[in-house]
Amino acid sequence: MSVRLKDLPTEELLHKGNLACAGCPEMIGFRHVLRALGPETIVINATGCLAVITQMGVPLVPHFHVLFENAPAVVSGIDDALRVQGRREGVNLLVVAGDGGTADIGLGSLSGAIERGQDFIYVCFDNEMYMNTGGQRSGTTPYLARTTTTPVGVESRGEPRTEMRRKDMVEIAVAHGIPYAASASIGYPLDLVERVEKAARVRGPTYIHVHSPCPTGWGMEPSKTVEAAQLAVKTGCVVLYEVEEGKRRVTRPVARRAPVEEYLKLQARFRHVVADPAALAEVQRGVDERHAAILARMA
Amino acid sequence: MSKVLMKGNEALGEAAIRAGCVHFFGYPITPQTEIPEYLCKRLPEVGGVFLQAESEVAAIHMVYGAAGAGVRCMTSSSSPGISLMAEGMSYIAACELPCVVINMMRAGPGLGGILPAQSDYFQATRGHGHGDYQCIVLAPASVQEAVDLMTLAFDLAEKYRNPVMVCADGMIGQMMEPVEFRTEGRGPPMAENDWALTGCEGRPRRIVNSLHLAPEQNFACNVRLKEKYDRAAREEVRFEVYGDERPDLLVVAFGTMARISKSAIDDLRREGRRVGLFRPITLNPWPYARCRAAMDAMPVGAKVLDVEMSMGQMIYDVKLAAEGTRAIEFFGKAGGLVPSPDEVAERIRALLP
Repeated sequence: MSVRLKDLPTEELLHKGNLACAGCPEMIGFRHVLRALGPETIVINATGCLAVITQMGVPLVPHFHVLFENAPAVVSGIDDALRVQGRREGVNLLVVAGDGGTADIGLGSLSGAIERGQDFIYVCFDNEMYMNTGGQRSGTTPYLARTTTTPVGVESRGEPRTEMRRKDMVEIAVAHGIPYAASASIGYPLDLVERVEKAARVRGPTYIHVHSPCPTGWGMEPSKTVEAAQLAVKTGCVVLYEVEEGKRRVTRPVARRAPVEEYLKLQARFRHVVADPAALAEVQRGVDERHAAILARMA
Repeated sequence: MSKVLMKGNEALGEAAIRAGCVHFFGYPITPQTEIPEYLCKRLPEVGGVFLQAESEVAAIHMVYGAAGAGVRCMTSSSSPGISLMAEGMSYIAACELPCVVINMMRAGPGLGGILPAQSDYFQATRGHGHGDYQCIVLAPASVQEAVDLMTLAFDLAEKYRNPVMVCADGMIGQMMEPVEFRTEGRGPPMAENDWALTGCEGRPRRIVNSLHLAPEQNFACNVRLKEKYDRAAREEVRFEVYGDERPDLLVVAFGTMARISKSAIDDLRREGRRVGLFRPITLNPWPYARCRAAMDAMPVGAKVLDVEMSMGQMIYDVKLAAEGTRAIEFFGKAGGLVPSPDEVAERIRALLP
């Protein structure tokens, strides 16, 4: 039973006005996640763009600001402390972090919290680079993407690590035996809300990886955020699926994938790839291979 | 060499290469991210290694490994990131390995803000990790001085086989100034030595280690370190004296705050006031004797004003230098607020006879 637009909670928990860049995907995603969870939610926000642009004043729910590397540890402390006080029932503990905090510096902390079986909803807004510090690479940066620490020039042609070796956070969470994990996209808000509502019903750790195209970091028109998010799915660069108690299911199947060029050409970070047919073919092969590997696991 | 206009962070990156550092391990954090970004582009051109670590913890331990393998290497960060590096610093000092760490201080505590501060003074000068170790700490007051101190930092690191911290702040990292590089091209590699792990073909194996379960052995390690720090205190103290030699008030300040204080002192001296500045360049070892000498030159009853971009940290070293012979006043702001020359001058005027 899918979530329909008319079923969406109408209560907005994100105050109007924030410091985000025009076209910020994180504000789109965060708004829908908060709406899905409702007011009985405590936000544990790892440092990142979201902390800076909301200044903890914009979400109208309790807010706990922590560092990149320790949000899962802090939520563990909150989870246990509320339980001991008899105040854990009916409260959503929502961790919000970026791909840097999740896939890189905070990976060990997340691993520990999932393994312990702490009760929380972890939402990672993945813009595939560190944008709070101005655009360095991350563990989820796609192959050949230009960032400030994977520049394009004579010695370097963007991110060197191949597509198949990108950190796959959903699969890392699943490898821990997590009860619920899913990928989602800010381009498909109803799907995102459904994933979050499902996670909220689970007792124990849950993980949702939300693809979030960043106009500032990727060199896109701010009006193209949602279009890019949808193209990422239509080209197979992002596969939307969920894993419930180990059972995988594609939540948004794509019948006929569009060529990756459609998606890449929106982004200045891939300008050197789009201009070079050999590089473009290489990227397409990498995406094909990764897409096939993800679908092969669905059986 | 002609002068070039450069941002402080980028100038420091270039200065590191000219000091012979071709191995950089780092993690982004404002206000120092231009150091890794600059070195990311520049190091491949000189055959060096740039590596973006997954965390500051990883970055400092990559330095630990590279230093142990005998190359000139460094990392850079800003206050919260330096806190994460504390463990690695202790291990590097304990294993007597040379490296350079740049701290572009920002306002704390906690995540604080991204504006300049000098609130990591205790952290830099009092060891910062666990155990009886110290860092040699250099505090530049301009982009040019920061560049000049980079070569010294690598030389001292090797001379003492100890981490050296270049402790500046977001102001120096972010501002653009004309700067002159005194050497050309890539600097010298680490000197031949008898401790680096480079494979043991034709010689006995070497060991990098800080585990000493026998207390006598561990004590001997501590004594050896202390002897080095005592030697540094005798040989490496650096400072600047500015303004009147027999002032009615002596300002003690370091880094950016010393530079701002100089403007205040210049204004006051034009008014006919007698004011001086004592500026430690080495925050550790601290120039106690030379600061005391500057105090002793003042008229009886003349005061000392310690000025910092913190709530008052270096003031304890100023008091140690004075040993109760002078009244030590304090003026400072923290949290990213930078006192203006006028504010400092006003405070000095209020204290002058």
